[in-house]
Amino acid sequence: MRQKFLTGISGILIALLIGAVIMASQGYDPFSTYLALFQYSLFSLYSFATTVKNSTPLILTGLSASIAFASGVVNLGQPGQLVMGALLATLAGLYIHLPPALEIPLLILAAMLGGVLWSGLAAFLRRAFNMSEFIVTLMLNMIADFFTTWVISFPLWDPKAFSPMTPQMDQAGWLPDIGDFSTVIFFMLLATAISWFIFNRWKAGYEWRMGGQNSLFARLGGCNVERNYVAVMLITGALAGLAGGLVVMGGPHRFIKGLGANYAWDGIMIAIVANNGLVATLLYGIFFSAIQTGALGMELITNVPSEISQVLQAVLVLVIVAGREYLNTLLDQIQTRRRARERTI
Amino acid sequence: MDDLIRFSHLVKVYPPNVLALDDVSASFRQGEIHAVVGENGAGKTTLMKVFYGLVPRSAGEIFYRDQPVNFHQPGEAIAQGIGMVHQEILLIPEYTVWQNIILGIEPMGWFGRLDEKKARKQVQAKINEFQFNLDPDARVGEISVSARQKVEIIKLLYRNVSVLILDEPTAVLTPQEIPQLFAELGRLRDNGHTILFISHRLDEVLELSDRITVMRRGKMVATVEASTTDKVELARMMVGRDVIFTSRRQQSQPGQVVFEANHLSYKDNEGRERLKDINLQVRAGEIVGVAGVEGNGQFELVNTLIGLTAPTLGRITVSGNDLTHAPILERRRFISFVPQDRGKMGASLVASILENSIMTHHRLDERFSIWKGLLLNDAFARQFTDRLESQFSVSMASKFNPFRSLSGGNQQKVILGRELLLSSPFILLDQPTRGLDVGSIEYVHQLVLQMRAEGRAVLIISADLEELFLIADRIVVLYRGQIVANMPVETTSVEQVGYYMLEGRGETV
Repeated sequence: MRQKFLTGISGILIALLIGAVIMASQGYDPFSTYLALFQYSLFSLYSFATTVKNSTPLILTGLSASIAFASGVVNLGQPGQLVMGALLATLAGLYIHLPPALEIPLLILAAMLGGVLWSGLAAFLRRAFNMSEFIVTLMLNMIADFFTTWVISFPLWDPKAFSPMTPQMDQAGWLPDIGDFSTVIFFMLLATAISWFIFNRWKAGYEWRMGGQNSLFARLGGCNVERNYVAVMLITGALAGLAGGLVVMGGPHRFIKGLGANYAWDGIMIAIVANNGLVATLLYGIFFSAIQTGALGMELITNVPSEISQVLQAVLVLVIVAGREYLNTLLDQIQTRRRARERTI
Repeated sequence: MDDLIRFSHLVKVYPPNVLALDDVSASFRQGEIHAVVGENGAGKTTLMKVFYGLVPRSAGEIFYRDQPVNFHQPGEAIAQGIGMVHQEILLIPEYTVWQNIILGIEPMGWFGRLDEKKARKQVQAKINEFQFNLDPDARVGEISVSARQKVEIIKLLYRNVSVLILDEPTAVLTPQEIPQLFAELGRLRDNGHTILFISHRLDEVLELSDRITVMRRGKMVATVEASTTDKVELARMMVGRDVIFTSRRQQSQPGQVVFEANHLSYKDNEGRERLKDINLQVRAGEIVGVAGVEGNGQFELVNTLIGLTAPTLGRITVSGNDLTHAPILERRRFISFVPQDRGKMGASLVASILENSIMTHHRLDERFSIWKGLLLNDAFARQFTDRLESQFSVSMASKFNPFRSLSGGNQQKVILGRELLLSSPFILLDQPTRGLDVGSIEYVHQLVLQMRAEGRAVLIISADLEELFLIADRIVVLYRGQIVANMPVETTSVEQVGYYMLEGRGETV
């Protein structure tokens, strides 16, 4: 645990250092750039609240990927599941009118249902025809993308708008702000806590983890590997769908073109950086969001282009992942060498 | 005495902690057929891979023509005239024989075009030179396995290799094809080639080779002249010089039949009969040992019993329950199972010791459940692991450490403890002492005998005859998927069982 924390922190520091060198080589002052970056993302209450809110879709899709990968399920369908969740939440918000106390939970459930339908389709294809979810979920991403674009361009198009988008949904389904903080954050944290609890405390979670680490061991131990597979597909679909729903409910309150942005792919990347750890996904999610959020402010007060944040992200991923793998092989090598020396003396 | 190849104190540790070669020194002369024999896992293949540059060595030196060498990849070895034929054959099925042979060093004609005529002629010349029975124009996908193996050999000879390493070349051949291969290898030797040949079939080794090196558990045991030894001596060296035949078994009367397999048969996807009409009973308080050279159906037997593969025919019952088609969890109510490969089947190496200890129990034991089985009872799981630790004297720093941090012996104790605490009537042990040190082996044997005293039925599969004679009440021999012998241990001998293992039910010794 402490070792993970240390490698994470040192990875971040090394990555920031490399980023500084890159900026300096371009003629920018790295110190003031970083200062601006973090001023607009972490160092004031409002900017921190924005960062956490922006991290919501990253963290939820990241959790989805982390749980799937740690259970040995290659669900790469978070982008599709996210937009399907967003679409179903929008539909429910457009056509069902209830007081907020009922409307909001209903929309949340609709969003999760959208993701579940999409991941469930992939799970079904795997169970019925033994089609690899790896390729199926990727392909379903395309279908979801074009399907939702069609829905907002034709049947649900808002005639008052210039670009494809739906009308705004019932105000009862809008997620309010409390002070500087959006209540989106509350749902994100709740989902994270529940996921952690299921994954680490439930019997099912135990079987998922064992199955992900060594599926033959789990199978021989009497775990129902097939049922676990379906359960993981459905729950990770629900998480990605929830991400989409929260984006709609906390933001534009309608489905606009390009709503899914790059959230889900960033989420998958965060899962990889976090080595499929759920708490680590939460922390890295906030950190990556800080860089993305701060980049816009940084562009305002320095002349460094906001694209530098993408460079930083890439460096972070490489340094943290490569550093971790290298540390593991290094430890193995040291042990191997010690053992070999024992035998030769 | 001119040694062509000399290994000096070779050590190979597979990370993090598996000692595959333990201080191996050996030498090979020019122009001999030199067999390396040993049980599976003895380190034969690793030794050759280290020499050939497929696997880096951890310590030690290799001399070739009196020069120290360290090949980093097979290409470097081939350049020096050393070639290896692997167990799995790696050829392009769509290409013809000659195309496969020249692949990588094609003779070029004008403008860098392949000179097909010349290539084909060169290949034909090689085939004629060594009198191989092979058609250069046949498509590799359409020729027999033995012919493909010849292609691999010619491929190396075409590269002017003078040292040939063959990894279990007869494993893929039918008995009728073996003499032809041997004749060809003999001709190669007479031509001055050196042949290193890995095998565990002692008859072949004695027939073909000039000298024989025996390995056991990663160590070199001895190198002997083939003309001065025999099968019995080789077998004894393979299983260990210090064979202790003092059984610690107490006499006991076995109870009623617990485990029964009737007419159990299994055909694999390619229609090969891997198990043929297996009939086997194990009684309460009885240990039955399954002997056999590896690859004679042990793997398939274990898989059908535990439910990884379905038998084509037959019935499996434990304590009167028909488990032939039962799901694995249902079987686990009646069968404790210790697999031969701890890391692949018996445990998750990265999970904690606790997580590994509670597997299967978490499903079968009510006390692991709270909230109607939704939640895992963490407190009870900890208590359970503590009990396992003390009852089976596992030495561990903390039950929350990863399983891989334990030594092999302690890993096996956790797995054995977990399985034995299931208190199922039937215990299936697949090579339970493989890769363990002497002390741990002793402990495992004691535990198995204790289970027998408690009236459980034990089926133990082992490649180690010494072990079976030490603890089993009855020994059955698997040979080519069939049980060829089923004898009380008092009425037989290592030599006799060894004979059945190698020859099936032939004439008596």
